[in-house]
Amino acid sequence: MSESNHQPAALRARPHVWRDELILIAGLIVFVGVVYALDSAFHTLLTGSNLLVAGVIIAFVPAFIWLTFFYLQDRLEPEPKQFVLGMFVLGAVLAAAIGIPLVENVFRVSHWLYTYTMTTLIGGILVVGFTQEFIKYAAVRYTMYHSDEFDEVTDGIVYATAAGLGYATMLNIQFVVSNGGVDLGAGVIRMAVVALAQASFAGITGYFLGRAKFESEPIWWMPLGITLAAVLNGLFNWLRGRVVQSNLSLTGASVNPWLGLAFAAVVAFVTMGILVWLMRRALQPAQAK
Amino acid sequence: MQTKNSSLGDRFAEVTVVVVTVIALLAGWMFKSSVENRSVSFDVNGISGQTPAGWLQAQVQDDEVLHTLDISSGDFSTTYIVRKFPVAADTPFGQIASLLTLERGQQLTAFRVLEQQRVTVAGHEAYEISYVFVESDPNLTHAQFPKVVRGMDIIFLNGDQAAVVTYWAGEGSFELDLGRFQQFLKSLKF
Repeated sequence: MSESNHQPAALRARPHVWRDELILIAGLIVFVGVVYALDSAFHTLLTGSNLLVAGVIIAFVPAFIWLTFFYLQDRLEPEPKQFVLGMFVLGAVLAAAIGIPLVENVFRVSHWLYTYTMTTLIGGILVVGFTQEFIKYAAVRYTMYHSDEFDEVTDGIVYATAAGLGYATMLNIQFVVSNGGVDLGAGVIRMAVVALAQASFAGITGYFLGRAKFESEPIWWMPLGITLAAVLNGLFNWLRGRVVQSNLSLTGASVNPWLGLAFAAVVAFVTMGILVWLMRRALQPAQAK
Repeated sequence: MQTKNSSLGDRFAEVTVVVVTVIALLAGWMFKSSVENRSVSFDVNGISGQTPAGWLQAQVQDDEVLHTLDISSGDFSTTYIVRKFPVAADTPFGQIASLLTLERGQQLTAFRVLEQQRVTVAGHEAYEISYVFVESDPNLTHAQFPKVVRGMDIIFLNGDQAAVVTYWAGEGSFELDLGRFQQFLKSLKF
């Protein structure tokens, strides 16, 4: 789409965007709360394949809520929905075909990554972070990047977050399937946080991609974007897995994963906040006209 | 805002991203190897060597001098066991192999010998028995499929002492973890 017919659409007012975003976040919180409450009340009823199917369905919901949230940020000229959904599917397919097999079967991270604290952090950045972020980058760079629809910096964020959410959905499905179903109460929170994190880190790459396309950035600009996303990704995984409170008592030992998940959620939310700020800053010049 | 076609700068940036990612993954591979090859020394009952770091050291039983397992290796914990026991002088390998096979057949479910042969390990003559068995949790309330495990015993003879080094791994990880076991095997000194 050219500059001339882009601007009228760009200046179309979307006054309810704040309200919509709040409704989405509230909706996600309500969804997590309802699943948690239902799991507490009826967890004995869901077993075997029913639990597996419920877990897979639940894996999609946070992804679609976050997808809508990031889609709403692109206020000037929303991208065609079919392209955004296509990017979501591409992210999921690349995760299933390349990303997850590379990390799990070639690098076999479950055998060595969690041995020591520093191993988790360094290996998480070099192997998990770079693999995941490069795949999300490649999904956008080799498809939508050259499209006429990719006509603003924020489009990079929208398409990359869609690819990231596709990747996250596949990770969550793999988590459910490999465990033969999950404790839905704890699982739904993990899935919501993983979806946000994967989307936000991809969004960082997407912002760098957008800037690389429309502004004259130095040669190190894009590698810096990927590296930054990979470092945040590694930090997120490390926090999620490592900051664990263990309680030992006469009746046995218990592990509390909530603290790690909370720290990881903070990283994801801060990254999302920065992304939202970057998107709004990118929109200001056009809105000011 | 003007949409750019793929410029030379774009191409350079694209190649640089690929190069940086490949370098990061290669560094990750080297880091993985260094973590997997970390080892700790042991010296028990006249046998010394380097056992993988971070593995669980299980309580030794009977004639065992080392029993170590990797609890992060999937469904079945990859296990190394070193045993040492007295034998009559000039006992042939075949006799010890037969006794060992009989013992395994009594202790392990669905035990089958796959192959046995004379081998040389770090210049020492040895005898290798490859086999397979099924590991099943004896707890009847534990709903889990039995696992197929591949095993390898390497028998060494030193005068009136025999040492048996055992390697057990899930059938999916046996070949992948074999290199590491061979490294462990080469580190052993009797």
